[in-house]
Amino acid sequence: MNKQALSPLWTHLTSEGNRTGTWRAALPRYQDQPSPCLGACPVSGRIATWIGHVKAGDLRAAWEVLCDNNPFPAIAGRICHHPCETACNRAKLDETVSICALERHVGDAALAAGWGFEAGPERGVSVAVIGGGPAGLSAAYQLRRAGIAVTLYEAREALGGLMRYGIPSYRLAREVLEGEIARITAMGIDLRLGTGVADAAALEALAGAHDAVFLATGASLPKRLPGLDYGAGFVVDSAAFLVAPEEEQKAMTGAHVLVIGGGSAAMDVARTARRLGRRVTVMTLEPEGQLPAQQVEIEEAAEEGVAFITGAMLKHAEGGETVTITAVRVRFEPGETRGQFSVSEIGGSAFSLTCDTIIPAIGQDADLARWGAVLGADGPVVGRRAGRIRAGGDVASMERFVTHAIGMGKEAAREIIAELAPDAPLPAPLPGPLVGYARINTAYHPGHPRVRQPSAPLSARLQSFAEVQQPLPAEAARREAERCFSCGTCIHCDNCYLYCPDMAITRLLPGYEVKTDYCKGCGLCVAECPTGAIHMQEDVP
Amino acid sequence: MDISRYEDHGQFCSGHAACGGCVEALTMRVILNEIGPDAVGVVAPSCTAVILGGYPTSSARIPFIHGLIETAAAMGTGVKRGLAAQGKGDTTVVCFAGDGGTYDIGIQALSSAAERNEDILYVCFDNEGYMNTGGQKSSSTPHGAATGSTPLGKATVKKNLIEIMVAHRIPYIATASPSHLADLAAKVRKARAIRGMKVLIVVIPCLPGWGVADDSAVRVARLAVESGVFPLMEVENGTTWRIASEQTRPIDAYLASQKRYRHLSDGEREALQAEVDAGFARLKALEAINPG
Ligand SMILES: Cc1cc2nc3c(=O)[nH]c(=O)nc-3n(C[C@H](O)[C@H](O)[C@H](O)COP(=O)(O)OP(=O)(O)OC[C@H]3O[C@@H](n4cnc5c(N)ncnc54)[C@H](O)[C@@H]3O)c2cc1C
Ligand SMILES: Cc1ncc(C[n+]2csc(CCOP(=O)(O)OP(=O)(O)O)c2C)c(N)n1
Ligand code: SF4
Ligand code: SF4
Ligand code: SF4
Repeated sequence: MNKQALSPLWTHLTSEGNRTGTWRAALPRYQDQPSPCLGACPVSGRIATWIGHVKAGDLRAAWEVLCDNNPFPAIAGRICHHPCETACNRAKLDETVSICALERHVGDAALAAGWGFEAGPERGVSVAVIGGGPAGLSAAYQLRRAGIAVTLYEAREALGGLMRYGIPSYRLAREVLEGEIARITAMGIDLRLGTGVADAAALEALAGAHDAVFLATGASLPKRLPGLDYGAGFVVDSAAFLVAPEEEQKAMTGAHVLVIGGGSAAMDVARTARRLGRRVTVMTLEPEGQLPAQQVEIEEAAEEGVAFITGAMLKHAEGGETVTITAVRVRFEPGETRGQFSVSEIGGSAFSLTCDTIIPAIGQDADLARWGAVLGADGPVVGRRAGRIRAGGDVASMERFVTHAIGMGKEAAREIIAELAPDAPLPAPLPGPLVGYARINTAYHPGHPRVRQPSAPLSARLQSFAEVQQPLPAEAARREAERCFSCGTCIHCDNCYLYCPDMAITRLLPGYEVKTDYCKGCGLCVAECPTGAIHMQEDVP
Repeated sequence: MDISRYEDHGQFCSGHAACGGCVEALTMRVILNEIGPDAVGVVAPSCTAVILGGYPTSSARIPFIHGLIETAAAMGTGVKRGLAAQGKGDTTVVCFAGDGGTYDIGIQALSSAAERNEDILYVCFDNEGYMNTGGQKSSSTPHGAATGSTPLGKATVKKNLIEIMVAHRIPYIATASPSHLADLAAKVRKARAIRGMKVLIVVIPCLPGWGVADDSAVRVARLAVESGVFPLMEVENGTTWRIASEQTRPIDAYLASQKRYRHLSDGEREALQAEVDAGFARLKALEAINPG
């Protein structure tokens, strides 16, 4: 249009001169916040972030994010008790995301590709790690990443702790265990295998020779069942049974094995015995549904033909041609903290049964007396610390899980790094409260059932110690990753930008910025965010 | 996120006077950006007119003529014919009006423009009442909804503008919602390419008029679509019907999301549910006998 021809009555300004930002009482703020799965994860994994990389098909980036907190994604993706899945927001829409199977997917990809870790620039300080189980290895890994020298003392001839000498290969293939451990030792660790640290004095000496010590010797003293003569030939120690080679395991057991206990170890003893061709009965104090083992382990044991007697207590066992036991039904009351409980016998409920071998697997205690002079023997304490000595894993906690041990090893290492190498970079924790379901706009997350992890056919399972749980096919893994809401993590979907009626959001590349001149503070951007990565904050211009 | 994708080319400007959180402004943003710079608008007195701006400023980058509430379609007719006479027949002419200006006061002009099949895109921002004058009922106000002039709830049902327009056999009639912005943009694009009369009716949950929280109008619009209260649909030439949205939830959450239905008894709510079900079933039946 010809400028001169414009009537003076014609509109000649846009509305942009009106600063509508002055109307506002609150301003949106972009801030990634922790997802509930992260809150429940024993290693505080950035689950929403790495699953986001799986969605985008970038498994390398996913693996790197995973390994910030846990150098064992292929192991955790197989045997973690995955409390993350119980906390997952998606369960409120349809079903929880298969986080654990996705973690395995990423971990396996890393092993297949041979991705490795790099040690940080050397800092001239050294730490002694005692115990080469998940807690000790996790700490060693974090320390090496920060460039701190590590000397690792392990009583046995190989690393891994109960991951090697407890958890059987049908749940954790040995090449996976070897692969993830080798990646850590390749970072340069002064390994002292077959070198136990004997006592408090030896511990003190190490504390003198190093800048810090991390004690992660696990819990190795088996709890004892009253009413059972551990010297009797028909009683077999569960730890000894699990580490023995197959031929020895066969020699240790008769035709019908009675396993006592309802945790992971008891399930592993039972399922191992089934693989030897034994008939197996598991007896637990806990009633059905309250066994401490993971549900999937219990289901798989039952599928494999393990019989269960729940809510019962062994009273007496008598050897002879076969072993005759007497037992009684009990009422079970869980206690305040994990591992504590009380039982009361139900009158007139006594029963008996016969078997050939009894394997009690009712848990282990930490050998605190050994370190008594240094740590005190008043029961396990998380993060127990005396001067330069910190402790973590089973020796210091009743949370007897691999990923708790990994998480405690990481936390101890981060404390040590903050002290000894304050300028080494440490990932900052996400600020703010856990992002609850109410902050997820589910209109952007259509319903899709959870992808099920496949298992080996039952017929094949009892014939070998090969892994039962099978990997997710790549396409299924990507689809499963798509189910994740990305709670609290911006996915750069542009919704906030596109829904603002006031054009008050600018797209940066990457990210977004709120124009305070125009934002009226309505909160539509927050309401239409599919992930809860933006929130309103009081703001009076 | 396919549901919200559209392109912003700066055709609608910040600093406009819409209430914070108003989805009428949001809808204008999508429509004006989809129409682009080669367009002239006319607007009837309405919230839209207020949002477009007080002289001498405008929130739209295309020129808008502010006219009388009776005359949006008539003004659009004149502008289009004037442009055509100047050899600018490709320039889009868009009419913006509220439901009062469409269902009630402007229906004569609309009906005659439709009968003549004028080449204009007529957008009705349907906030189901005379809202910029304080929230009186219009013939678009639904059965049971309270307004300033129907404080106990409107006694009669919402006028069926779609079927009125269908009776004119115009090339294109569509409904749209601010909860489905990609769909809205696609419908504007489609309408622009069609010669002749196009009518687009967009549901606009009005924050003060319906009693909706500042951050919730998109959610309320989504509930309207999902509960079948405001289905997303298209009718071409009066004979090809397409109902694109499904009725996936009862109306309870929709009713509960607004203050204008607060007074309803359980029995009245059930009666409204039955009305919505019957209306949706009727649409599906019409679609079945007029397939696309
Ligand atoms: C049969 C079984 C199955 C299990 N299954 C699961 C499961 O499925 N999922 C799960 O999360 N958890 C499971 N657990 C528990 C889990 O294995 C432990 O919680 C975890 O291994 C604890 O790690 P840690 O590093 O603290 O101790 P450990 O794994 O016990 O490692 C301690 C290490 O320290 C070494 N050590 C001990 N004393 C000394 C010393 N004086 N000097 C030097 N070295 C020493 C030991 O040889 C060992 O290598 C299972 C446990 C058992 C027994
Ligand atoms: C003939 C006439 N009567 C009354 C008015 C006053 N008036 C201006 S806008 C308006 C309300 C229009 O309502 P609607 O078309 O539904 O648009 P909304 O305000 O809801 O956007 C009224 C009554 C007018 N401009 N012209
Ligand atoms: S939806 Fe994703 S981010 Fe949210 S809790 Fe579940 S796994 Fe974590
Ligand atoms: S949608 Fe726009 S105006 Fe509303 S709070 Fe967000 S940035 Fe501000
Ligand atoms: S709406 Fe999308 S782009 Fe905006 S903060 Fe949320 S996730 Fe990020």
